Amino acid sequence: MTISRKCVPFTPFERELSKSTIAIVTAGGVHLRDQEPFNIADELGDLGYREIPPDVNSSQLMVTHHHYDHSDADNDINVVFPIDVLRDLAAEGFIVGLARKHIGYMGYTMQLKAMYEGTAREIANDIDKGSRADAVVLTGG
Amino acid sequence: MKGIPTVLITVSPEVSAQMRPPRALYPKGFKIGNSLGRPGMRDLQKKVLRNALELLGKNTRPGEIITIEYQEYGEQYEPPHVKKPA
Repeated sequence: MTISRKCVPFTPFERELSKSTIAIVTAGGVHLRDQEPFNIADELGDLGYREIPPDVNSSQLMVTHHHYDHSDADNDINVVFPIDVLRDLAAEGFIVGLARKHIGYMGYTMQLKAMYEGTAREIANDIDKGSRADAVVLTGG
Repeated sequence: MKGIPTVLITVSPEVSAQMRPPRALYPKGFKIGNSLGRPGMRDLQKKVLRNALELLGKNTRPGEIITIEYQEYGEQYEPPHVKKPA
């Protein structure tokens, strides 16, 4: 197995969970029904991402991704994008709340450099500047 | 930029390990497309998410993937393996 030689971007978590807001970033191709779907016709993959607001009704979310079976996510988006689950944890006081924005992108690309140096940094900056997230949960498909 | 703490929930631990995520949870045997569990299994989904978030404050070793087994998931699946170079 080839291991990345890049250093691990480890950021310590120094807050209590019960005082923390959490953002979700998923590679599972999740987006709002009225947002432009990811371009699955592009064999190189779609490098874009979609912002998802914290007050979204989960029935307004869908998946556009052709590299995994998302039939379960079509029935319950929480299996890859646990937005309602986060709300439950906030209601229980386990976390304080949801960040101001969450992100969906299509985690399939043949353009790894563009994904790593472009999309990933844009998402990180977007979360850093506008979401007030104290930590991020990452999910794949 | 100071950085934001992250925790990954992965159902492809060997593939994810190649990128050495700072913190990661593998819910053992969950199939691709079921990162949090099966549809409608809210209690299981909450347990997985709680366990993932709890890793944020634990002394994890960057690059290490923590495996947890959840009996209530039911039938387990073999995760994809990384081909070793010949």
